[in-house]
Amino acid sequence: MSDVKFHWRLLQGGEIDGASRTQQDGLPDTGMPDLRERIRFCLRAEELGIDSLLTAFDWSRPDPILLAAALGNATERIKFVIAYRSGLICPTSFVQQLNTLSALIAGRFSLNIVAGEQRDEQHGYGDWLAHDERYARAEEFLAICRALWRREGAVSYEGRHYRVENARVNTPFVSPDRTFPEIFIAGGSQQSHDLALRQGTLWMRMLDAPEKLRATGVAVLAAGKELGVRCSIIGGRTRGAALRKAYELVSSERGVDREAEREFMRQSDSVNVRTTYELASTEWLTPWLWTGAVRTHGSACMAIVGSAGEIADAIHELIAAGITQFIFGGWPKLEAMEFFGEEVLPLVRQPMEVATAS
Amino acid sequence: MVMRFHWSMSSAGENRRGAKARAAVSGIPNLDAHVRFCRIAEECGIESLLTAFGFHRADPIVLAATLGALTGRIKFMVAVRSGVCSPTLFVQQVNSVAAMTGGRICLNIVAGHTPEEQGYYGDFLSHDERYARTDEFLTVCNAFWKGDGEANFDGRYYCIAKGKLNTPFVAPDRMRPEIFLGGNSAVAEAMAMKHADCMWRLPEPAEKMRDKALAMVSAGTEVGILVSLIVRPTHAEAIEATEELLANFDGAPKRTHDEFARKSDSVAFTSTYKLANADVWPAPYLWTGAVPYMGAPSIAIVGTPDEVTDALFAYRDGGVTQFLFMGHPDIEEMQRFANEVLPRVRAREAAEAASAVAASS
Repeated sequence: MSDVKFHWRLLQGGEIDGASRTQQDGLPDTGMPDLRERIRFCLRAEELGIDSLLTAFDWSRPDPILLAAALGNATERIKFVIAYRSGLICPTSFVQQLNTLSALIAGRFSLNIVAGEQRDEQHGYGDWLAHDERYARAEEFLAICRALWRREGAVSYEGRHYRVENARVNTPFVSPDRTFPEIFIAGGSQQSHDLALRQGTLWMRMLDAPEKLRATGVAVLAAGKELGVRCSIIGGRTRGAALRKAYELVSSERGVDREAEREFMRQSDSVNVRTTYELASTEWLTPWLWTGAVRTHGSACMAIVGSAGEIADAIHELIAAGITQFIFGGWPKLEAMEFFGEEVLPLVRQPMEVATAS
Repeated sequence: MVMRFHWSMSSAGENRRGAKARAAVSGIPNLDAHVRFCRIAEECGIESLLTAFGFHRADPIVLAATLGALTGRIKFMVAVRSGVCSPTLFVQQVNSVAAMTGGRICLNIVAGHTPEEQGYYGDFLSHDERYARTDEFLTVCNAFWKGDGEANFDGRYYCIAKGKLNTPFVAPDRMRPEIFLGGNSAVAEAMAMKHADCMWRLPEPAEKMRDKALAMVSAGTEVGILVSLIVRPTHAEAIEATEELLANFDGAPKRTHDEFARKSDSVAFTSTYKLANADVWPAPYLWTGAVPYMGAPSIAIVGTPDEVTDALFAYRDGGVTQFLFMGHPDIEEMQRFANEVLPRVRAREAAEAASAVAASS
């Protein structure tokens, strides 16, 4: 249990306190990699004991591999969870880019593979496959990547979506302890579950009630793979203070555009995103699991709400359900990460260390 | 037009890398050696450094993003094979580097040179089809760089609907990266005229390149050459340096390049091999002796600082205004160029400009 990992979402350009996803995506600053500000965020994350920072992928942000290259060279310990869409780049080039990055930053990253989230956005990248076909392609994509990472000679592969002949790259994956990066498969569908089993090292879900996460993740754990969750944390000195923060986030005075988020949902063919959105009709799934921000802030905003102690207890419940990696976010990002690192993490680690010692 | 000088970073930290079989070289980039190379190039007044593309190398754009974060002035000429990723993703990557480095990125488009290596990347198109796809690829890229809304394109190889990106190409003086395109075939030429700011060629004697180059320039595309440089204080020492370079090869590496030339379907590379077989000194300043051992780009301008300066002006008068140099070894040659040749070039350019002003007044 001592090897549970806690990641946080990287600060992005022009981040507004509590902005909804559709507000944030439209901002010109979201696309601008202000390195100085982000390096500061990385260094603070290192101090707080955060394992990695998530560099997200979509049309509105800078490329996460290149961002990690720049940030990785300005930092020493912090790792990155690099989100990427399969299907936009040939697997050989993808492995070559990642191996180059690993050689330059000592392998300090893992991958969060998303098969695609929005039809419109995929079309903008020239990708016209439907949800299920995207998963079939992702399967081939990762099969080729993993064959290249095995470094057992030239790789030939002929599938429906990819064909490579005698593929090789001279730059290996360079890391003190791995021969290929950890591969998180992000998604909530049966296809993402199966893909995680076959090609991933971890199945990354949106937050749900612990017993449900455990029940759906049985096969993944049995196969020796990990389970992870992505969610937000809304903390306060007391439960009441935390609740006030949560409700403020979605209050209409913020000018949150619910219609824009509904339009995002109409375009989405991601099962993960849809399911979470539907779950959000019941606001509290457990005493600490709040879905209220999902309809305005996106599915990664299923939130653990409470005091530091309550949040630590919730995390223990999730760990007991088999979750070993977490990607957290919060508002404002830096203060929320500091609250987590300073107030919650010591409580989470304490009983874990006691348990390990005994 | 003021001449512009770039240098290849392909051998940073590893001399005579070009003489080794591609499968045998390491792909692990030596970061310290690369950073040192960049800093020396900045001191030497080099404008940009080529980061090449190949299965045997580190990825050029990841390398450029990293080196860009560790340097202040030098630009990176990132080699690009079209056909290995979505043009939207490609523009996103290029714009990301631009935004992180203040626009210190330009592109060197290569359509690919051996069908065998293309197969590693899942690309099985023929030479001419690769150019047709590159044409579409660059058309989509330019639609994004125009930045006037969504990119739409419906072609044989790419179909993009309402493409948008939120990271613009950021530079003090440009809306899109400068594009260089290499090749010697007719189809490459047409592509360069359509999409590139400058076309790289492998050199022939200046007077032989003149007509074609001037025609291109008058049609709005600059011409540059990819060439090695051997500068020594005296002519005899320069000749001696060519012999020393050859003495490094005992015959074995030659086969490497014979094999590469046989597999290559690049017109530029194969025509330089032909030139090298026909004549070791096609011009008094142009030497092809190392081509069989180190490949087509080892065709070299050889001579004293004055002779090399004269040769560069001979090219310039024939329409060739940009130069992408290699040296063997690189850093020493770059420093000789910076100390001995570049001041002569700039002084003569200034004198020409002054006399042009005098003549017109």
